[in-house]
Amino acid sequence: MIITHNIQEKEVKKERILFILSVFPITFLIFALLMIKGQDGEPISLLKGLWKIISSPTILITDFLEVGGIAASFVNSALIGFLNLFLLKYYKMRINGLLIAAFMTVLGFSFFGKNIFNILPIYIGGYLYCYYQKVSMKEIILIIMFSTSMAPIVSEISFTTIFPKPYGLLIGILVGVLIGFIIVPLSSHMLRFHDGFNLYNIGFTSGIVGTVFTSILRSFKIDIKSVDILYLNKDISIVGLLAVMFVYLMLVGFFINKDVFKDYKKILKYKGRTVTDFTAQLGYGVTFFNMGFMGLLSLVYITAVNGTVNGPVLAGIFTVVGFSAFGKHPKNCFPIVFGVVLAGMLMHYDLSSTGLIISVLFSTTIAPIAGTYGIGVGVLAGMLHLALVTQIGYIHGGINLYNNGFAGGLVAGFLIPIIDAFKKGEM
Amino acid sequence: MKHETKKISRIVDELTTLFLKQDTDEVDFKIKREPHQTTIKMIDYRTHFDDEYIDELRQQLSIVRQWEIEEYYWQLTGETDCDDELTLIGAMVDKAIVEKKDGNLYIELIRLHH
Repeated sequence: MIITHNIQEKEVKKERILFILSVFPITFLIFALLMIKGQDGEPISLLKGLWKIISSPTILITDFLEVGGIAASFVNSALIGFLNLFLLKYYKMRINGLLIAAFMTVLGFSFFGKNIFNILPIYIGGYLYCYYQKVSMKEIILIIMFSTSMAPIVSEISFTTIFPKPYGLLIGILVGVLIGFIIVPLSSHMLRFHDGFNLYNIGFTSGIVGTVFTSILRSFKIDIKSVDILYLNKDISIVGLLAVMFVYLMLVGFFINKDVFKDYKKILKYKGRTVTDFTAQLGYGVTFFNMGFMGLLSLVYITAVNGTVNGPVLAGIFTVVGFSAFGKHPKNCFPIVFGVVLAGMLMHYDLSSTGLIISVLFSTTIAPIAGTYGIGVGVLAGMLHLALVTQIGYIHGGINLYNNGFAGGLVAGFLIPIIDAFKKGEM
Repeated sequence: MKHETKKISRIVDELTTLFLKQDTDEVDFKIKREPHQTTIKMIDYRTHFDDEYIDELRQQLSIVRQWEIEEYYWQLTGETDCDDELTLIGAMVDKAIVEKKDGNLYIELIRLHH
């Protein structure tokens, strides 16, 4: 037994944590095998679906469930999941809350935007950065995992007519390598803009990088436009799968910490601002329980508004679940979500639309604002977030998958200094 | 190691902010750089922190060194005065000694070079 901040739980070795996480890609593979069937009754082979996903430009919003089918999408996610777990094991990483968040985020975005082809150049760029700076890949693997948010630019250049074949493919890969090379110093520097109040910091960084790249391309009259390819069928089997996975996480939490129900309330006192690693503060039991619980809450919300669980929504759910190991809990997320929903109603958005649902899910990137400054500021931040996130996609042309992270950084960077300026009674 | 001097300065900045804002009016610090490690010693005079808080401080500063957290987040250290970054400091040092003696709080942080 070990004791973490007055919480007793079973000792969990990193191999065990990797196994707990590996259940996700394993389950995805099994689910994919069960789902090998075509849309509208027409059989589509798994490999054909995978090729469609790999050769798609993947710009925002490209839903892989629509592009390659359910089975191929889950296989793509599983492959990316296994690759990242292998890297975590290979580099002997201690699995902390942030690495869990990174793994879940990458897993989720493998349903819309990231595929086994377009993420690899970014990893190679990261490796070259390590070689150039004489640092270990172990130090930057986390940043590289998150920075695959820029993967669509690889696919966009490789598989559209921006450059003639086969130069497009080569240039696309080189741009991906370049992004992997420059993203490490940029991501660290950008934190200072929002002081850690935006959990998806790489989303903010990628927004800046994406804006620069897109502006350069547009200067040469090459325009990058967002698309809207969405899977709109309501598939109860996906909802069921997610529910089972989240209950599994809660049970894992209970297995590690038998007092998890008693200890869980301790998580609610945390503001959630970066760096709030729940695995270090409260142990793995409470952390996994919180992840599962937040996943179930996300599913309940989507079901309540009659939404569709498609690729972007899966990404949103898994990102919420992942960051529930690193800052998010019901108390600091609720005001933000309430603010987004309220603004959505005032702006006459359809609450069941994929656009609004993913805004609600991803808006929790600024949960630390509510955790630090309270419900009122949290609701205001949520409303502001929706106003920004619906307008800024054009700036980077949709090549930054973490568009909400970009918007969240702007909201936090705008609000925090103002709030601080009006705070009274402090030296 | 890149930005080593700045990282050490920021650790001191973070702790100085914490002590002056939440505890005391008098703080001392000493930094010693050697080829294999850097040692940071701080004294928070006439501390008002209770034993429970000091124990929590010790636990947060004593978590294992985490290179990936340091590389990504080190620029947050000492950046704001509305919250602390003790977990981050814990991830940036290899050893932490935290003890209360004669009414003062003594902290010694050791950061190994690699």
